[in-house]
Amino acid sequence: MPLRSTETGWGALVRAFHWLIAVLIIAQGVIGLAMVQMGLTPAKVRVFALHKSIGITILALVLLRIAWRLTERRPADPVGMPRWQRHAAHGLHLALYVLILAIPLSGWWFNSAANAPLVWFGWLKLPSLTGGLDPVWKPRALLLHQALFWLLVALLVLHVGAALWHHFRQRDDVLRRMAFGSRKYSGDAR
Amino acid sequence: MTKWFGYSAIAILAALASPAMAKSWQVDPAHSTLAFTNSYQGVEYTGRFRRFTAAIDYDPNDLAHAKFDVAIDITSLDTQNSERDHTALGADFFDTAKFPRAHFVTTAFHKAANGKVVAEGVLTLRGVSKPVALTVSFKPDGSAAVLDVTAQLKRLDFGLGTGQWADTSMIGDGVAVHGHLSLKP
Repeated sequence: MPLRSTETGWGALVRAFHWLIAVLIIAQGVIGLAMVQMGLTPAKVRVFALHKSIGITILALVLLRIAWRLTERRPADPVGMPRWQRHAAHGLHLALYVLILAIPLSGWWFNSAANAPLVWFGWLKLPSLTGGLDPVWKPRALLLHQALFWLLVALLVLHVGAALWHHFRQRDDVLRRMAFGSRKYSGDAR
Repeated sequence: MTKWFGYSAIAILAALASPAMAKSWQVDPAHSTLAFTNSYQGVEYTGRFRRFTAAIDYDPNDLAHAKFDVAIDITSLDTQNSERDHTALGADFFDTAKFPRAHFVTTAFHKAANGKVVAEGVLTLRGVSKPVALTVSFKPDGSAAVLDVTAQLKRLDFGLGTGQWADTSMIGDGVAVHGHLSLKP
């Protein structure tokens, strides 16, 4: 199981980033939607703190993931894939990268504008992006954070749908190579 | 005529009485602050009460007649975080629906061993009255003066955030109060 990606499959590190970030994003979305419904208790404060900590974790992982991606190649697209599909796929991936960077950053921005504390898992204090309360940008940052989240949900529907379409309809290895890495040699010509 | 006589009598009495009374000061609200520092989720923050009135009688050479009487409008709380302010004014904390005001009045002044002036008094907050000592720093500035007072309080002593909010790792128990008063004659 190679660490680096190859012509035919994703490396172990890219796959680890992909699935770890995927799990964190799902957890983060659920926590985010649930926490705003909570009554005002210490539990709510703790869940908000957890949401912030997970968000910062995602931001750090995405930055590491992008840095790593820049050092290696990506596997080739399936043979015979139409040009518009390649463009659509790569455009969607680019949009997903932008969103998973922008959503934690907008959350951090909102948190800063609201002058709320930000301590990563109660351990690492992170600076404010606004230098204190910013009543003008606070509602805008929140709106942006929420709008980008729902845009992410929409794009993830396309992303997951496309992966399943490749797997079950096209019967290619697009999903397999992200799930298991390099496909086993199965005799078919690429 | 009677009125005039009355005013004169008061003025004369006041003039006669004044040597025995500490100097009374007017507080300039525009240049005075009542602030405190506490910690929330391990992060220190500062809040202030934007509205308070203070009757200050003070002469550093006549501590026996010094007196501070301060009324604080708790609803004027501002910690630069509207969610936190909203929580703090609610029933679990200041409970301003029942206790919109706090009051501090001194009972005695003395010089501590380190030479600093200490004002002993009673703070009534959220229906709880407790002794509180202020450390007093008084700096005359021409005919005006600057008065800085500090005190260390414990929020749980006054029932601020008991029960589910008593966890001091989330909201620190210690509260450092700092009053900065610009005084005019």
